[in-house]
Amino acid sequence: MFDFFGSMPTEDRLIFELSKLYEQYGYRKFCMAKFEEYSFYSDNRDFLSGEGVIAFNNSDGRLMALKPDITLSIVKNARIDKNTCTKTYYNENVYRISQETNDYKEIKQSGVELMGNIDSYSIGEIVTLALKSLQKIDSDCVLCLSHMAFISAVLDEMKLPATAKEQIIFCQRNKNAHDLKAVCDEYSIEEKYVEYFTALTSLNGKFDEVLQGLRYISMNEATDKACDELEEVYNTLCSVSLGNKVQLDLSVVNPSSYYNGIIFSGYVKASPTPVLAGGRYDNLASKIRKGIGAVGFAVYLDNLNLHYPVESETDCDILILNKSEHSDITLMKAVEDFISQGYSVRVEKEIPENFKAGKTMAFDGKEVK
Amino acid sequence: MLNIALPKGRLGDKVYERLASIGYDCSEIYADNRKLVFESEENNVRYLLVKPSDVAIYVARGAADIGIVGKDILDEGDFDLYELLDLRLGVCHMCVAAKNDYVEDHNRPIRVATKFPNIAKRYYSSFNREIDIIKLNGSIEIAPLLGLSDVIVDIVETGTTLKENNLRVYEKFLPISARLIANKSSYRFKGDVINDITQKLREQLIKEGKI
Repeated sequence: MFDFFGSMPTEDRLIFELSKLYEQYGYRKFCMAKFEEYSFYSDNRDFLSGEGVIAFNNSDGRLMALKPDITLSIVKNARIDKNTCTKTYYNENVYRISQETNDYKEIKQSGVELMGNIDSYSIGEIVTLALKSLQKIDSDCVLCLSHMAFISAVLDEMKLPATAKEQIIFCQRNKNAHDLKAVCDEYSIEEKYVEYFTALTSLNGKFDEVLQGLRYISMNEATDKACDELEEVYNTLCSVSLGNKVQLDLSVVNPSSYYNGIIFSGYVKASPTPVLAGGRYDNLASKIRKGIGAVGFAVYLDNLNLHYPVESETDCDILILNKSEHSDITLMKAVEDFISQGYSVRVEKEIPENFKAGKTMAFDGKEVK
Repeated sequence: MLNIALPKGRLGDKVYERLASIGYDCSEIYADNRKLVFESEENNVRYLLVKPSDVAIYVARGAADIGIVGKDILDEGDFDLYELLDLRLGVCHMCVAAKNDYVEDHNRPIRVATKFPNIAKRYYSSFNREIDIIKLNGSIEIAPLLGLSDVIVDIVETGTTLKENNLRVYEKFLPISARLIANKSSYRFKGDVINDITQKLREQLIKEGKI
């Protein structure tokens, strides 16, 4: 019997399943134009973390760009109400330079953005949706939670030059305690901060245990508050039986200054790279629209067909070899009959190369045998 | 099963000895053959012997969970990996070297011959010096001797090759050594065993007074 969803390539199936998931939580689809004015991206270059933008001249001479990012466009174009929330999701392609090939690549993305008046429920809902999105890809998944305050609130207090901050963030992202020490020596960083950042590189694992460690090394009011926020999110996930899929990992850091709260990245077992990333980005949202908050995530769908191939025993349930030059109506009726019984049918003159049919039949001009 | 990418050669041998001594041995590796994959079901590890410059790619793409690679390869590429430990093996420096009588001409870009164009570009751009990169794949020392370049940017361990070719080090700028790296996704799903290896190797280094 023909199983349409079961035989669908993983990426296509996920677009349907993720859309359904987001619609179930009241999110509405956001369709956008393929291009934006180039100046929009150059004004928000920090958010794009150095990824190249493909630019071209429009028919009226304006410099346009193929979208390297969806979030920016949604924040700019959505009708946002300061007092309530705008909940949107998307299935779009973005165009960026691939880290692996150093060439432009089309990347298929789905994601959700929640903008407006953000409260703790909103954050809990987004993180829950992120984990449920991962589960749609593979039940063997992990969501790594972190909070930007552990890095940014402490770096701000230290008043370091921008290059030192960049190097410290780079070491955090790579769990690189040895080079972190060298950076701290170079900038004569106070011992209490060296110990703090070194501890951060190794703090990861089960949420409860790591949170305890985090509270112990917490440096200021902002990091205390970040611990409380993380705990609140974790409790939300536990309340929907998703707590066992969460790890707390302080190496999840976004170098963009636009992120300001909870951040996270998601992994599934068969993919060597994260398939989901997101977090709270009030700093970006309020830059484009004053006073609003925002939180969201993107699911990277490209390469999932490679890591999760759909293996089907047959290309089609029934292959009918049409040996006749006439009686198209009889053949068409037979095809319709098989389809109405739930089979997939392909009509050919000869058996196509490398084609696997569940059953091969022939039409002699009178009947299908 | 944990997949470990080891660099073929002396460094790989040294690292294997260390891994074997902390309980991740695979006796099959001593067999005199041309196999490149060795497996120990008992210790739940599989060793992959690969070209040193390819270790990071194997790990980044998930073909190996962890690996041992020189800092020069990591800095030359752009890999999104965890760098868990400096193993203090194969210690050397990335250096700028030139002929013994070299004097820099500030009126023109410096011609730099190197196997590491990204590292060289980053180094010179840090003080805004314009350069002309000449990418070579080996025998870099010959470039300034033949007038192909003004300087070379290369790894220097003892300096003997430089000396024998009438070259000397002008600037040491990047310490290099072997690093233990891990794939970020593997770390999520095999974190316990990866942390066990990292911790035991760190304890060895502490015992030897290296860290």
